[in-house]
Amino acid sequence: MKTKFLKLSLLALFIFTASCSSDDNNDNTVPAVETKKVSDLNASAGYTKFSFSENKVVTNDNWDIAFNTTTIIVNGGVKMTDAEPNRTGSGAASIVSGTFSSVTLYPAASAFAQDAATVYAIPKGSGKGWYNYDMNSHIVSPIAGKVFVIKTHDGKYAKLEILSYYKGAPATPDPLKAEDTGFYTFNFAYQANSTTTF
Amino acid sequence: MKIRITLFVLFVFCQISFAQKVQKDSVETNELSEVKVTTATRTERVLSSLPLPMTIITSEAIIKSGVTRLNEILSEQTGIILIPDESGFEGIQMQGLDAAYTMILIDGVPLVGRSSGVLDLSRVSVGNIERIEIVKGASSALYGSEAMGGVINVITKKPGKDMFSGSLSYRYATFNTNDANANLLWKKKKFSANLFANFYATDGYDLDKNTPLKNVEPFYNFTLQPKIYYDFSEHLKLIVSNRFYDMKMDNKAVIESENYEGDATEKEWNSQVKLEHKWNDKFYSEYELYATNYKNDSFLNDQNNVRYEDAYYNQWLFRPEIRTTLSLKNDKITGGIGLNYETLDRTYFDKNVKFNSQYVFLQYDWNPTEKWNVLAGFRYDNHSEYASQFSPKLAVNYKINNNFSLKSSVGYGYKAPDFRQLFFDFTNPSVGYTVLGYNVAEARLNQLEEEGQLLSRVAGVNFDKPLEAESSINVNFGTFYKKNKLRMDINAFYNSISNLIDTQIVATKTNSQNIFSYSNFNKIFTYGIEYNSMYSFTKEFSLSLGYQYLIAKNKDVVDNFEDYQYIRNSELQTVEISKSDYFGLYNRSKHTANIKFAYTIPKIKTDINLRVFYRSKYGLYDTNGNQILDKYDTFVKGYALTNLSVSKYIVDKIMLQAGANNLFDYTDPGQIPNLAGRQLFARIQYNF
Repeated sequence: MKTKFLKLSLLALFIFTASCSSDDNNDNTVPAVETKKVSDLNASAGYTKFSFSENKVVTNDNWDIAFNTTTIIVNGGVKMTDAEPNRTGSGAASIVSGTFSSVTLYPAASAFAQDAATVYAIPKGSGKGWYNYDMNSHIVSPIAGKVFVIKTHDGKYAKLEILSYYKGAPATPDPLKAEDTGFYTFNFAYQANSTTTF
Repeated sequence: MKIRITLFVLFVFCQISFAQKVQKDSVETNELSEVKVTTATRTERVLSSLPLPMTIITSEAIIKSGVTRLNEILSEQTGIILIPDESGFEGIQMQGLDAAYTMILIDGVPLVGRSSGVLDLSRVSVGNIERIEIVKGASSALYGSEAMGGVINVITKKPGKDMFSGSLSYRYATFNTNDANANLLWKKKKFSANLFANFYATDGYDLDKNTPLKNVEPFYNFTLQPKIYYDFSEHLKLIVSNRFYDMKMDNKAVIESENYEGDATEKEWNSQVKLEHKWNDKFYSEYELYATNYKNDSFLNDQNNVRYEDAYYNQWLFRPEIRTTLSLKNDKITGGIGLNYETLDRTYFDKNVKFNSQYVFLQYDWNPTEKWNVLAGFRYDNHSEYASQFSPKLAVNYKINNNFSLKSSVGYGYKAPDFRQLFFDFTNPSVGYTVLGYNVAEARLNQLEEEGQLLSRVAGVNFDKPLEAESSINVNFGTFYKKNKLRMDINAFYNSISNLIDTQIVATKTNSQNIFSYSNFNKIFTYGIEYNSMYSFTKEFSLSLGYQYLIAKNKDVVDNFEDYQYIRNSELQTVEISKSDYFGLYNRSKHTANIKFAYTIPKIKTDINLRVFYRSKYGLYDTNGNQILDKYDTFVKGYALTNLSVSKYIVDKIMLQAGANNLFDYTDPGQIPNLAGRQLFARIQYNF
């Protein structure tokens, strides 16, 4: 009974906040940022580059973020390994704790980092960046409540939340199925305007 | 929860008032007798006067329950549950602490062979047990490392007077499980001997027939336990005790959809030579020499019968110890000195490793007045691999009257880092990650770096300071009440463990897999209350109740909840939860309870024994992405198990027994792989 009530209240809260934000957007002069979902981006064979403004995988230098297995890089800073694409933009990343919808303000400029020779802007490793790795089950699970505010290659902003590392984003992935591992599902919202909020 | 507490309190008072009522017609003499125990103080003490929480399982209770292995009888006790760890072995959880923190003794000396942290207790047969003594709470002040959560001492039978007696028994159960026992007790004047032999074989069980592997593969084992006693005089007695155990099991595995088959064997040998020397009325000494070897070997062949994998584990412990007790008027002073020499050779160790330690302990058992008993003691361990440990303990018993006493104890407990945490060097062949023991990590990392296998090392991680022992503070406060037909005890406990050893990532390899090593970082605490009572309505009918309420949490999670407050729901959306939603550590149930009925029908010499065990819901791992167990996670449902046994003596010497464990066939193959279905059994025992 109690849990049901809580679930209902959570649902109610969610609907409430969701509806709130759309109201705000309607009143604002700045057009709404739209949350978009990308499913099963293949990062199992080398770097896959993605552009937020175009909402697609790109092969040119206009990428904002690139994925290779559990590594995520931004288009700004320097290379750590030769396999990485060249950084051509002014990209950076900042890690914020919160639900995706709760992140509305851009973090301070000092909270952003670019990829460096020893550490990425989104650090690699279990519990350090975007995922946790369970030694017993071998499952790589995105840490809930980690939202990445990404500065794009051309100085705009997007917020990003990783949802799954496995093809089809199953609730209980099978990490031993190598052919289904390394497929990102994520939500992002891109702010094309010159403002400081999403 | 509130309702439950009210009910519980109501029940306690009912029993007390009930007891007072019956008190008037106490001509009947089905009083519960006093039990003498030795584990808590290493001297003989009456159970009710002990200032520590303690449970006794008698041989009679073991026989009537119809079970055959140590794990089975332990799992029937309040506050003890048997849970499988990641390796699949069952271990006991006591006061919410893991199996690694309970020391298991046979006749006062420890079992070894924790190849993955837990001892497989099914390797101990209960056929020759006189009683089992369970001390709960930190007992490192007497027993050192491993006794942080408690001590379980299995005491085997010993002939008391001149006699030749024994028993033969055979039991057959579901899954083609055979258990045959022979136990001989002999004493003539200065010589006495006890020989116990056991054979156990089973086909194992399979909860999911669609998978190629069974939950338990077929195995068989032998136990042989000869003991010889020689009394040189009233003052000097010799005991030579041996135990041999030999097990063989089918070994099967599926690795990357390929089937592998082989064997696994286990061999154990324990030998204890003890001299009991009574100098005079005041001085009594025991000189003890203990040696034990635990060995296992296993292999797997592929389908073409080509060897795929070999694994072995070979541990030795050699331990001489001298104990002396000085009996003063009302007080006793016990002191001991000893040393451990331990070696281990196993797969994934670079070389044979050795541990050396020396220890001394002292205990003062003080009775200032008739009402007070104070037990104060300490133990000091000096170890070759980690920092020395000083473990004090203080316990007080206050006898309000003959029926009612209050007891309290405070103790320090510790558990040394084990061989694996210090010396492991393991690389997973299919995934490619590596686990390194703390003491070998630095050299191995440097070597990997030179070989160009390292991409990066985690900044700030070094192995300069030695890995510290896990340590705990344990507090107990309880009561013991016994009057006529009722016996009842209640104990509240609290354990706070710091320096918990866990794995952390220390480097990343060029194959993008991680290297893990061990580190002290977590702090956990457990607290709760345990209740036990037994009431004999008549000579023929008695009822026991047991209940434990338990909270077990990680202190770092409680203190830094903001790191864990976001979960991912089934639609993969992130939701914020509150601190009160934190459920606690994995595999802990808030409520465990048991109810036991014992009914005797003297006319037809029959005993009926019915036991029901309940365990409330618990979680096995995080299912919603915040690394902790919260109330939105998926839980294993609470469940109850029922065991029934009926024993009947047809003539004085022959007992027939039949019954069922897990009578209602409760299973949950996905989440409780160690819970076999219903097991029917029948036994015949001949006593002479």
